[in-house]
Formats: sequence, structure tokens, C-alpha cells
Amino acid sequence: MVQSPSARPNRVLLVLGLALVAALLGLDLASVAPNRILPGEGVSLWVWLGPGSALVWAFPLLLMALAWRGTPRALHLSRGLVVVALASLPWVLAAFAASRVPDALPQARVTLGAGFWSLLFVLLMIWVELQARLKGATWLLLLPLLSLALALVGGHLESLALMREYASRSGAFHEAVRYHLLLVSAAVGLSLLLAFTLALAMRRFPSLRRGGFALLSLIQTIPSLALFGLLLAPLAWLAARYAWLGELGVQGIGWAPALIALVGYSLLPMTRNSVVALDGVDPRVVEAARGMGMSPGQVFWRVRLPLAAPVILEGIRITTVQAVGLAAVAALIGAGGLGTFIFQGLGQAAMDLVLLGALPILALAVAADGLLSALARLTASQSSREAR
Amino acid sequence: MSAVAIWHRYGRGLAPLLWGAGLVGLLAWLPRAEGFFRWLAPGARVVIYPRDDFTALLLNHLALVGVASGLAILLGVGAALVVTRPWGRDFLPLASQLAAMGQTFPPVAVLALAVPSLGFGALPTVVALVLYGLLPILRNGLAGIEGIDPAVREAARGMGMSPGQVLWRLELPLAAPVMLAGIRTSVTVGIATAAIGSTIGAKTLGDPIIAGIVNGNSAYILQGALLIGVLALTLDSLFEALTPRRR
Repeated sequence: MVQSPSARPNRVLLVLGLALVAALLGLDLASVAPNRILPGEGVSLWVWLGPGSALVWAFPLLLMALAWRGTPRALHLSRGLVVVALASLPWVLAAFAASRVPDALPQARVTLGAGFWSLLFVLLMIWVELQARLKGATWLLLLPLLSLALALVGGHLESLALMREYASRSGAFHEAVRYHLLLVSAAVGLSLLLAFTLALAMRRFPSLRRGGFALLSLIQTIPSLALFGLLLAPLAWLAARYAWLGELGVQGIGWAPALIALVGYSLLPMTRNSVVALDGVDPRVVEAARGMGMSPGQVFWRVRLPLAAPVILEGIRITTVQAVGLAAVAALIGAGGLGTFIFQGLGQAAMDLVLLGALPILALAVAADGLLSALARLTASQSSREAR
Repeated sequence: MSAVAIWHRYGRGLAPLLWGAGLVGLLAWLPRAEGFFRWLAPGARVVIYPRDDFTALLLNHLALVGVASGLAILLGVGAALVVTRPWGRDFLPLASQLAAMGQTFPPVAVLALAVPSLGFGALPTVVALVLYGLLPILRNGLAGIEGIDPAVREAARGMGMSPGQVLWRLELPLAAPVMLAGIRTSVTVGIATAAIGSTIGAKTLGDPIIAGIVNGNSAYILQGALLIGVLALTLDSLFEALTPRRR
């Protein structure tokens, strides 16, 4: 079935446009509270702008009109519109704060409401849908990020509750980000080393495979909270028994059980991908390299490893994304990192503090995913070019 | 038959029974193991988690995961079927992109983000579990249905099967193993995330662990950790036994 390129309404965008209208109509955009303790008062778009909100309404209506046309041109236009809408969100918030937060109350703050989050979510869904149809130009998404950065640097979002929480603990925040990254990279680096050794051993001794993978998937099945708990007693005992371990900072709680657990979880995807990658190298290529007079070491480093790199990188990607999330749970056992804010915030019922932990974790996971999959694609195209 | 041969033939069916027996054994042993835990945590005043019965916590944990997984299966398989029908195909690219990207989100973050809108307790936990558990099921559902050789579907239609018959007799049975793998992933993540749900006020096996961390009582922590670990292994081995053997 060949689809004519023109003139079919895009039903997905129509539905998403309706969702946009519903979010603008029915939900509070944000709420304003006089300080950290008192609950805020919700403000919808209509309450904020009155008849002026017609300007905002024009956007989903225009989008739905374009979706109705459904031509490639209309879709390209919609994509431009969505990028503009996303880029304007920080400034909409800045304008909202400027008009609703009284200068006389330095502690007053704006909490983002369900309407704002739904708006953001639906806009991103529209972006995903358009990208699935149009492909390319992913860099356009950098524009909203740039706009957000500008608004942040310019201090236009200071009265957001999220930023107030940040301002009161910026030192601890930076330390937590640094620590989170350190924990994740240490875990990924260590597990790469271990997994690669294990993969080489499994290739040399195939009888190791079955038992090895069974053990690794057993570890993977144990829930993170339980694994941290199970490591606590043995580590505490070791630290008490051997003073030098205690001096290194090894204890039942803290970074030691976190790192061990993260490495344990990373081993399965990393080893599996390394084995699959090394197995997948075409034996004829290896044969040809040997025929050219390469030594076994050269064959491994110059032929086998570069050809296996994309799949190994895919393993690193899975592992890193997983470790970013697991490191957040590790905050429960005193390992620090961004999870600390989540659990502190939950303890104090301070939702903006929870966000201060959860949003950067989300951003880190998405960024790691994007960067590493781009890297994997790059090496894949490179090694296929070299193979030709 | 040697022990190894017996294990190879019946092991997959035996494993869930053995782990399950271990779980029941733990439930029976833990409340009586005061001596062992007193030795493990000599400083603590109380060494057996006192606030709830372990069996009650386990059942509650299972109920949370069960309800959430049931809903996630319903929604996930339903969505996978809808977007692979001719009238729903427009939504296929969006659905498969969402299923792939959503799994980048850490479950803890999803759990934490459910609280501002839904408050504390079991409800936000179940919602987070459903939202997150849906993704692997949807993804595998799509992979299973889209992975069917078009020639097979064509042949079925040629034999005069109606669309409904193609769905029930061909697509669902052929996609079932891949879907089951998605459900398995979803349940495994669900058990782990439900345990963390203790921090937002859901009553689960995570409670003793959290209480132990807060009070510095390593006996509580070990009790919760053992139960959660064995529970996860029991359910996982059950799925392993249910999965058809690759030929």
C-alpha cells in the first residue's frame, strides 16, 4: 500500500491538539504561595490573562488546522511552531511570575501546576510524533534548551519554588550532582573492566557461559533496596574486622554498598553485550587480518575490538542509564547524590525539593541515553565504512 | 538418572517451588529468629520488626504489584493491539517511540513525581507502577505482533479467516512469548519499585528496610531484604518456568 504524500489529516496531531486545549482549559497553570509552608493558590490561564488568553488559544487551533491539512509542508510548519512554543515556555513562566508574585514578599514562590506539566508533556509528544514522520533536525530541540538556559542565567525564573529550593542549597546541589556522576562513572568503568574480562573468559571457556549468565541474571533480579540491605551486614563486618577497609571509607552504609550493587547490576547487560559483540565479528574478517600477517594481539586490538565497539557501547548505554536511576535509590543508604533531595523532600512533604532531585536525574538519564546512542551510531557507521 | 540430569529435565518447574518454599520458610522462621538477629545486631533493643506482621506486608506488597501489573498488562497489550489494527495504525510510531523513550526514565523519579499530584500512600505507588510497567509490555507487544511474518498473516487471510480470527488464533499466540518476556520485566521492576514505595507511604516489604535505615537497626534491614529478594526470585523463576522453551 503506497500512501500518497499529501492531503490526509494527521489524526494523532488532532488528538494531541485536543489534549492541549483540555490542559489549557481545565488545569491550573501554576500556583502562587506566600512562603514555603503555606499552600499555594492555583491560577489557570483564564484567571491569569482573561480575554488575552485568546492569544494562547490560537496556538493549538493553528496546530490542529495544520494537522487537518496533513501535507509535509504543514507538518514542517507545525514542527517550527512546537519548537517556538517549547522555547517560549520559560518566558511565559517568567511573565507569570512577574505579574503574580508581589515584590513585597521576598519568600513568595510559584509552583508549577498540573496544567504546565501537561502542556510540556503534550508538546513533547507532538514533537515525538512529528519527528517520527519527518526525521532529522533533532538539533532544533536545542533551541528550547538554550532559551531555558538564557532565562535561568538572566535570573528571570528566581521566584519559581524549584529555584528557591535550589538557591537555599546550591552548594549541596552541585556537590550532589558531582557525587552522582562520580558514582555512576565509577560503577560503569569498573563493570566495563570486569565484564570485558568475564566476556573474554567466557569465550575462552564456553562452559562458563551458562552458569555465569545464570548468576548475573540472579543478581539483576534482586530488587535494589534488598541488595543494598543484603550488602550492609557483610560490609559492616568486614570494616570492623579489617581496620584498613574502614579507613578507606568502607562501611555498611555509604558509597561502598552502593558501588558494589551498581557494579553487580551492570554486569549482566555489559557482559551480555560484550559477548554478543565479540561473537558477532565475522570470522572471515579475522581470517583475512591473520592472512595479512597480523599478530594475535594486533588482530584483537585493530580488528576485533573496533568491529565489536558499537554493540559494547550499546551495553555501556544501557548500564549508564540504569546506574543513574539506581544511584538515586542508593541515597537511601547514605550514598549521597541527587536521590538525597528526593528522599529529604518526601520526608518534609516539600514537593519542590523532590523535583530538585528528580528532574536532574531525569535529565542525566536522558542526556546519557542520547549521547551514548549517538556515539554508538557514529562508531557503527565508522566501522562499517572501514570494513568496506 | 543423575541429579544433574533430573535438574535439567525438571529444574525449571522445580525452581519456583523451591524458592516459594524458601519464602514460606522465611515467613515462619523470621519471627522466631530472635537469637540470630540479636547476635547480628547486638546494640538494638528490639531485633524483630515489630510494627507489622511479615505475612501482611508480603501480601500487601503482592497486592500492589498484582493490581498494578494487571492494569499494566491490560493497558499495554490493549494499546499494542489498537495501534497495530488498520484503524489505529496512525498511532504506531508515537506509541513505539514512547515505549522506547519512557524506559529511560528511572523508576524512582517516576515514583517521586507521582507524589505531588496524588499525595502519599498506595495510590501514587500503584499509578507509578502502572505507568512504568506499561512500557516494557507495550514495547514487547509491538515487537511480538510486528515481528510476525506478513506472509503468515496473508496466508491466514487467504484461508478465509476474519480479522478477529487472525487476532485470536494467529497474532496473539505467536506474539505471546515475546509479550510474556515484557510482562516478566515489568513485574521484576514492579517488585523493586513497590519496595521503594515505602518511602511514599505504601505498606510494603520495604517498610522494615526503611525503618532499619532510619533507626540504624541492621536486623530490620536484613529481614526486609531477605523477604524482598526471595519474593523477586520466586516470581522470576515462575516466569522462567512459564516461558516456552526455545526450539
